[in-house]
Amino acid sequence: MLSDRPGSASLRFFYAALFWLIVPGLIGLFLATFLYTPAFYDHLPLVIKPYLSFGRMRPVHVNLAIFGWLSQAYAGAILYILPRLTRTHLYSERLAHVNWWLWQLMNVGTLVTLLLGMTQGREYAELIWPLDLLFVTNILLLALNVWVTVLRRKEPKIYVSLWNFMAATLVVIPVYVVGNKMWDPSGAYTGMTDSIVNYFYVHNLFNSWFTTAGVGLALYLLPKLTGKPLYSHRLALWGLWSVWTGEHHELYSPAPDWLQYLTIVFSILAVVPTTAFLVNFFMTMRGSWNKLRDDVPLRFLAVGAIFWGLTCVQGVAQSFRSFSLVVHLTNWVVGHSHLAFVADYTFWAFALIYLMQPQLLRLPGMYSKKLMEWHFWLVFVGIVLFMGSLWIAGVIQGLSWMNTQIPFIDTVIAMNPFFLGRLIGGVMIAIGVLFFVINVWLTARQAVRQPAPALSPVAIAPGEGSRA
Amino acid sequence: MKLGLGFLIFGSLLSLVLGIIVTIVIPAQDPVGPSPLARPYTALELQGRAIYQREGCGYCHTQQVRAPEANVGTIHQPGDIGPVSVPGDYYYQSPVFWGTERQGPDLAHVASRHGTGDNPDWLIAHFKDPRAVSPGSIMPSFDYLSDAELQALTAYILTLK
Repeated sequence: MLSDRPGSASLRFFYAALFWLIVPGLIGLFLATFLYTPAFYDHLPLVIKPYLSFGRMRPVHVNLAIFGWLSQAYAGAILYILPRLTRTHLYSERLAHVNWWLWQLMNVGTLVTLLLGMTQGREYAELIWPLDLLFVTNILLLALNVWVTVLRRKEPKIYVSLWNFMAATLVVIPVYVVGNKMWDPSGAYTGMTDSIVNYFYVHNLFNSWFTTAGVGLALYLLPKLTGKPLYSHRLALWGLWSVWTGEHHELYSPAPDWLQYLTIVFSILAVVPTTAFLVNFFMTMRGSWNKLRDDVPLRFLAVGAIFWGLTCVQGVAQSFRSFSLVVHLTNWVVGHSHLAFVADYTFWAFALIYLMQPQLLRLPGMYSKKLMEWHFWLVFVGIVLFMGSLWIAGVIQGLSWMNTQIPFIDTVIAMNPFFLGRLIGGVMIAIGVLFFVINVWLTARQAVRQPAPALSPVAIAPGEGSRA
Repeated sequence: MKLGLGFLIFGSLLSLVLGIIVTIVIPAQDPVGPSPLARPYTALELQGRAIYQREGCGYCHTQQVRAPEANVGTIHQPGDIGPVSVPGDYYYQSPVFWGTERQGPDLAHVASRHGTGDNPDWLIAHFKDPRAVSPGSIMPSFDYLSDAELQALTAYILTLK
């Protein structure tokens, strides 16, 4: 259960992440189907209706996708990278396994409590107090492995990815504690403060954990997959400094005006770290673009990075009042969040698993290259169709609301064809992910058939030309 | 490198603390009293509010009227969602249901809509079978709620004046 074999915890995190990708993925399909044709729900048996109700399934979809799938893929990749960049053992493989078990407990708890309607009622902060404690414990255990391994490193230079992991595991904890008011088990802020704290939390959870750690992972992949050193390490370090832009979700809301203006300034400042990353990305990629044709992991990384740039452009645009007035509260926002979570971070996570699973199993590569190609194209076309539908839908919705002659219900009915587009995109993504899961499973089975030689925890730092 | 690590810890925590002070602590100092629309909830209304929270109504219905979209304050025109929301409206609420999506209409002032939002019979019929009273609606049917739960939920909705 608590193996000491190097890399075993990392591999387990990846496999568990896949399971927790399938669950919220299927729920997402269910939700998309419901929005397209809600009448089928009316005829379901009364005993199961509460648990399949849109309002209960939606937080399950979101929480499992971000804390079950993405966070575990991150954890697996961070545990993989740590010994390689520090040229030493992971501080404690056993601790990482304890971490893994607690993570599964948290995911199961999330699924059960949210379906039962046990929620604190704040978006992204729905989890009840015991699960909040589990989340913080999980990040703390991961942080312990990150920090102690880095402090005991044999490689003098701390590569930028490690800085990102250290910053991410450090900052996400206070953000989560404040955002969920964890010193009070009810988690209950009241009135306007409640809303302000919630948006602070939502945005900084993304900034501190998903973005900071995610960029760290991308900066590991970039030299690894291109076989070239990072264009500028110094520039990459500058990319670290991005926090607190959350309140731009409150434009034109009842929140104080000065706060709304301040948040616009912060959002514009977020251009700095974004640019730092993108410059590094494009400069490192120079001369390697032809590799995209055959290299699926690199393609996932590159397309994800370009989508990441688009996420940031949209983020800044949405932080202007004029644009926010049209698209805020519409389906545009759903498209934007899937841009960040599916088209960027999840794409990067696919690349990470494609690189790392064969390495951890001492295999030359994934079982099937063909399945990788199918995976990429289905997911790519699917997500573009998905987001495109929602962005167009959102603009139409927003402009229709401004016309007071249009009854609200007409703006709902007008969404139907776009919900179909989103559903078709979603089905394509699901089939692509199915190919991905099959490929990982076949690769794992291959390893069982050909037992691997003993592992060495010490490997080669990025940029040294090897993909080992 | 020791200096680097210290710089990272100090820098990120400092920027976080500054962020918390500027975006949470200072706004929270603003003394906001209840607005004329806000009043303490009765036990039944609170129960209804808990059902609203449990069933995730807030994922599709906002409760905030943004400044540019507020009309003159009458709710009788199509598309008119009522007066602009002010911080005091939320004085007694925890959690608040500002929301991030409008798959359904804004509910900040739903109980001021004549014949529908202010009519308990219409509300209950709508909860049980939304598409029967509002063709084209994409709301789930809440016929699995007990009569007592529907009464409580209705009592809460009627507070949204």
